[in-house]
Amino acid sequence: MLNFLKQVGDYARESVQAAKYIGQGLSVTFDHMKRRPITVQYPYEKLILSERYRGRIHFEFDKCIACEVCVRVCPINLPVVDWAFDKSSKKKTLRHYSIDFGVCIFCGNCVEYCPTNCLSMTEEYELAAYDRHELNYDNVAMGRLPYKVTQDPMVTPLRELAYLPKGVMDPHELPAGSRRAGKLPQEILAENQPKHGNADQN
Amino acid sequence: MSQGIDLQDSFIQLLVQLGLPTGVAKALWLPLPMTLMLIGATVSIFVTVWLERKISAAAQQRIGPEYAGPLGTLQAAADGVKLLFKEDIVPAQADTILFTVGPAIVVIPVFFSLLIVPFGQNMVITDLGIGIFLWVAMSSITPIGLLMSGYSSNNKYSLLGGLRAAAQSISYEIPLALSVLAIVMMSNSLSTIDIVQQQSGYGILGWNIWRQPVGFLIFWISALAECERLPFDLPEAEEELVAGYQTEYTGMKFGLFYVGSYVNLVLSALIFSILYLGGWEFPVSVDWLASLLGISDTTPWLQVVTASIGIMMTVVKAYLLVFLAVLLRWTVPRVRIDQLLDLGWKFLLPVSLVNLLVTAGLKIAFPIAFGG
Repeated sequence: MLNFLKQVGDYARESVQAAKYIGQGLSVTFDHMKRRPITVQYPYEKLILSERYRGRIHFEFDKCIACEVCVRVCPINLPVVDWAFDKSSKKKTLRHYSIDFGVCIFCGNCVEYCPTNCLSMTEEYELAAYDRHELNYDNVAMGRLPYKVTQDPMVTPLRELAYLPKGVMDPHELPAGSRRAGKLPQEILAENQPKHGNADQN
Repeated sequence: MSQGIDLQDSFIQLLVQLGLPTGVAKALWLPLPMTLMLIGATVSIFVTVWLERKISAAAQQRIGPEYAGPLGTLQAAADGVKLLFKEDIVPAQADTILFTVGPAIVVIPVFFSLLIVPFGQNMVITDLGIGIFLWVAMSSITPIGLLMSGYSSNNKYSLLGGLRAAAQSISYEIPLALSVLAIVMMSNSLSTIDIVQQQSGYGILGWNIWRQPVGFLIFWISALAECERLPFDLPEAEEELVAGYQTEYTGMKFGLFYVGSYVNLVLSALIFSILYLGGWEFPVSVDWLASLLGISDTTPWLQVVTASIGIMMTVVKAYLLVFLAVLLRWTVPRVRIDQLLDLGWKFLLPVSLVNLLVTAGLKIAFPIAFGG
C-alpha cells in the first residue's frame, strides 16, 4: 500500500515537473513574440554577403595556363579544360573552359589551388534556371561579374546579423515596430562623413 | 436572474402583430440564427487562419503575411480561391464514393455542433436538453470520415494517417467526456445555457476553472488531441506520413479538411470557454454592477449592452484559447504515437476518473459551492 502511494506521489511529481517545463517553454515562445523580426524582404532587400562567401565561380580566361590543377583537386573532376598544344611557342593554349554549376558543390578547392589565381568566388547565388543545362557556364558566362547588392537601385542592402557590433542585436526592451537590427550602408556612410566645422581642424 | 434580450420572442411578436400566424412567424425566424452562425463560422476561419499565421510568425521572429490585403488579412481568401480553382483529382485506384464523402463527413458534424454554442441568455440556435453531449457525440463522427478518406485513398500513408486519427480520437474522447461529465454533475444539467448560468453571479470567481483545476487541463489536452493540433498532429505528421489522410486530396476536398480543422479549433475553444470560463459572463458580474448603479434589469439599453458584452466575451475568451493553442504549437514537440496513447489511456483516463469521483464527493460535502 505504502509502495503504491509512493509510486503515485512520484508520478504526480513528474507530471508537475513536466507541466513546469512546458510553462518555461511557453514563456520562451511568448518572449520571442516581443522581439523584432529578422525578416529580409527578399527581392526588395538582400543581405550584404560576407567576404568569404562561396558563390558562383568567376574565371579569368587570360590568366589560365591550362594546368588542370582545378580538375584534379575537384571532388568530381568537374571543370572542363579544353586546350591544344601550340608547337611554335611550345605552350598549351586554352580554347574553352566550363564548369557545370548544376553539379558543382561550391567547395572552393579549385579556387584554392589555382596557381595563377584565375578562379575566384563571387557573391552570386541566384542561379535559378528553367533548364539544368543552362547552368553549364562556359568561360564567357564565368567571366561575368555579378551585380553588387550595394549598387543595385532596386535593392535595399542589409547587413548580416553576425557582422553587427555587440549590443545592436539585443532584442529586448525595444519600442514597438522596431526594424531589423543594424544600420543601412548609406546611414553608416552619412555618419562617417566629416562634418563641415570639424573638417578644417583635423 | 434577468432574462436578458430575447430576439426570437420580439421577432415573432412583431410578425404576429403584422397579422401572420405564429407558426409562420416561427418558421420565418428559424433560418435567421442558422445563417448568422454559418456566416460567423466562415468569418472565424479567416480570423483564425490570419491569427495562426501572424502569431506563428511572431513566435519565430518573422513578419508573416503582409501583401494580401491590409496586414495580410486576405491571405486566407487567397488560399481559398487557389484551392477552388485547383483540379479536383481522384486517384485512379481510389474508391470514388468514399473518397468524396470522407471530407464531408469530417466537416458537417463540426458545423452541426455550433447548434449548441450560446453567446448569451437567449442567443443560441437551440437550447437542446442533451446540450453538451451533442458536441461529444458529433465529435465521434469525425474519425469515421477521417478513416474513410484515409482508407479510400488507396495509399499507405493515407491509411496509416486515418488509422492514427481514429485511434487518437477514440482514446481522447473518453477523458474529454469524463471531464465534461464532472461539469455536468455540478450544473445538474446538460444544457449549455444552464452550465453558464450556474457559473454566473460572482464574476470571475464563479467560473468553473476554479472548481475544476484538473478537469480543465484534461479537457484542454483532449480538445487539442481532438482537433489534431500540435503536439498531437501525428495523423498528418509530414515527417513520417507525408500528410496522413490528406495526402491524396487536392482542391476543395482538401479545402474541406482545412476548413473543418479550423472551425473545429474555434468550436473547441468556444466550448472550453462555455464549460470553464463562464461563457458570456464578464469577469465582473454585469447584473451586480447594474443593481449597484440602480438600473433595472428590464431597461432596453442595458439589455442591448449586456447582450453585446456577452457576444464579445465569448469570442474574446475563445480567441485567447486559440492564441494559446498556436503558442503551444510552437512550444511543444510532437509526441510519438505510443506516447500519445500512453498519455490518453494511462494518464488522462485515470486522472479524469479520479477527478470525477472527487467532484462527486465535493458535491455531497459542499453542496453550496459545487452545485448540490
